[in-house]
Amino acid sequence: MAVSPVVTHEATSNVKVTAAKAKSLAVRTNSFPHKTEAPPEKKQGGQELAERLNHETKEKYVKDKKLGEGTYAIVYLGHLKADPLSKVAIKKIKVNTEYRDGLSMDAIREVKYLQELSHPNIIALHAVFSSKNQNLNLVLEFLPLGDLEMLIKDSEGIRYGTAEVKAWMGMLGRAVWFCHENFVLHRDIKPNNLFIAADGEVKLADFGLARSFSDPYRPMTYQVITRWYRPPELLYGARFYSGAVDVWSMGTVFAELILRVPFLAGNTDIHQLELICQAVGTPTEEIWPGVSKLEGYVGYEKASIVPVRGKDFYLARFGTAGPVGVDLLMSMLALDPRKRSTARQMLEHRWWTSDPRPTAKVDLPRKGGGLEKMGDDLKRRGGEVEDGRGNKVARKLNFGATK
Amino acid sequence: MAILTEDDLYRTSTQYRLWSFTRESLSSLRCTTNESAADGVRAALYGQKATEQSSKQDSNVSPTPEVDYLSVDEEQKLVGYYCIQTMKFADFCDFPTNVKATAVQYLKRFYLSNSPMTYHPKEMMPSALFLATKTENHYTSLESFVSMLPKATAEDVVAPEFLLTQGLRFTFDVRHPHRGLEGGFMDLLALATGKGQSNPKTGASPAQLQQHMIDLEPVTDRGKKMSRSAEEVVRRIQNAHSKAKELLKTSALLTDAYFLYTPSQIWLSSLFFADEPLARFYIDSKFPTQSPLKSTLLTALQTCATLLRSSASADPEDSEVKELKRIDKKLYKCRNPEKIDLVGINKAQKREGHEDGLDEKVIKKRKMEREKLEKEAEDIFGPALGVKDGK
Repeated sequence: MAVSPVVTHEATSNVKVTAAKAKSLAVRTNSFPHKTEAPPEKKQGGQELAERLNHETKEKYVKDKKLGEGTYAIVYLGHLKADPLSKVAIKKIKVNTEYRDGLSMDAIREVKYLQELSHPNIIALHAVFSSKNQNLNLVLEFLPLGDLEMLIKDSEGIRYGTAEVKAWMGMLGRAVWFCHENFVLHRDIKPNNLFIAADGEVKLADFGLARSFSDPYRPMTYQVITRWYRPPELLYGARFYSGAVDVWSMGTVFAELILRVPFLAGNTDIHQLELICQAVGTPTEEIWPGVSKLEGYVGYEKASIVPVRGKDFYLARFGTAGPVGVDLLMSMLALDPRKRSTARQMLEHRWWTSDPRPTAKVDLPRKGGGLEKMGDDLKRRGGEVEDGRGNKVARKLNFGATK
Repeated sequence: MAILTEDDLYRTSTQYRLWSFTRESLSSLRCTTNESAADGVRAALYGQKATEQSSKQDSNVSPTPEVDYLSVDEEQKLVGYYCIQTMKFADFCDFPTNVKATAVQYLKRFYLSNSPMTYHPKEMMPSALFLATKTENHYTSLESFVSMLPKATAEDVVAPEFLLTQGLRFTFDVRHPHRGLEGGFMDLLALATGKGQSNPKTGASPAQLQQHMIDLEPVTDRGKKMSRSAEEVVRRIQNAHSKAKELLKTSALLTDAYFLYTPSQIWLSSLFFADEPLARFYIDSKFPTQSPLKSTLLTALQTCATLLRSSASADPEDSEVKELKRIDKKLYKCRNPEKIDLVGINKAQKREGHEDGLDEKVIKKRKMEREKLEKEAEDIFGPALGVKDGK
């Protein structure tokens, strides 16, 4: 039984549904329609049930203007045909043009996980349909206020403090906790994958690199998570890892929200490790038993070892978060993934209940120009960054190793 | 503080929302699918006849002959056979259990809304397995996948993928009972060695639970001696585990279990099947003595265990093979002629797609841009410094 440390939006009253009742609910909710609303016979003749359902879904939405286009996807603003005032984002994935092995892994991952995860802090996938040309269309929740990266970068125009950071981090933490509770690793948490809804709610998006927890002894690829947010175990080539990788990413996002610049912006994987050693401490056998057995681990000269940074060091840099906030940050940036806090422990930290209270959603700072930003963000492929020369290479390697 | 139970989470899954049925709704869906497929074949055959007639006007063509369509039962047998073939092929490729199990469920889900009369399972099978390698994180390149197939080409594998994903209603997640069984196995071992958790409802201590297990009646032959020691109990659990595991790899996949029961009901039923006294003890250890929920659960487990027992064996007998041959022969005459060439249909749809607002110039320009980017990416040092957007 999972006790949610959060107030969730639904499913509270019907906790005690028995198996039998669950079954009867299934009848009601499973939605293969019978041939009742029979559309015009002539056109529908020879069309199978699945084809018809797809057609019906497609007919429900109207594409309006194009918001952005990349090699991987085109993003449109759209609305429900039945409700012209509604707004949705339609991401059309170009299935045929690029990839000869059929539906690409990114598209599959994104659709697979968004279909399963429904949570107020995860971008909602309203529907999926294919258009005539076999392109996949994802009807996504419309999130017009851009992403967290925009707000962090605009240090002139946007002012915020600890209460706002607490609100944003809380929403991020709940999203990630929910993913892990469903045995899903996101593997690409970073500010520009955190969209902002019209009401200020933060929504985790881009599940192009997500995967289910591996079975014991089944290796995974370490070529995931955008470098600046990548934890040391992945930089050392760990093939067995856990939700702790996402928690590290959240820690670096937390730090970035406070600093208003990326916390550990390495140019290469080696440089990234150097930055981690400087800012957090050097991973050694003493503080992280077993680290030297990781494939990519590099030994460090005694003289160059940076001891794990203490609270004072963090307070000097992240003092605005207060001593309790710094304590949380440190627990998320523990080098040894086994000692790092879990998403759940993070949400149970006393920082959330100590002053100041998190800012209410509606009072969070916001910024215009989010519409284009959503188009820009969505057209990307999972794990892809627009600038930065190293990333394209990493992506390439990642494809081969993707398992 | 809201409580979110595992049941609540399961109810949000697509497996529950779209792919769970009652026996009645499942069979009525299959009937509908069968009927509309037959309608489709009839219309296609009639259409063919009509064109033939108009081309040779003077010939004396008789009205459309009555076609003998497949029954729902025959469709089921045929799909079942190809599910077994899928499993064998997955084993041949050395794919892990989750890939194999997902591929089989993809086929079963696909044939809820499609009939073999429209799309032959033989042609859907490679595509289902290939898609499962992708969705279960066991990606194998199409090239190497095809090299393991005896006859098919890359196009044969990819062409039906679109139809398949549409039939799956773009839901790719399948929740399997395998992991649950492993968890239960570990839990049972802990109980057997006196390290289990005491029952919060009845207050039975770990040591009491352990003793209780030692005293359990044996699986078969009631007269036989009981297990006398903890070691013997451990051996008993291991036996039950391997028997249950085998069942989850075969009949749990081949029957309608996934459509009718939850993953945890399925693995508990497999334990029920393997060692009923042990399964009953395990369930008792989790519930208070009397609970309406427990009796509901036991009823569900018993019917599910019966279903698991009913499965066709993985190696069809001669009489079954004979029957399958008969069905396939019958199918030859009632296949939808418009849907046989999947590769051709796929190509035509893609061609249509290109008229979708993209003119040749744009396509060519994009292709060049992409190739340039790819070329740059191949350079191990990455693209030149300061170069953005390929300019």
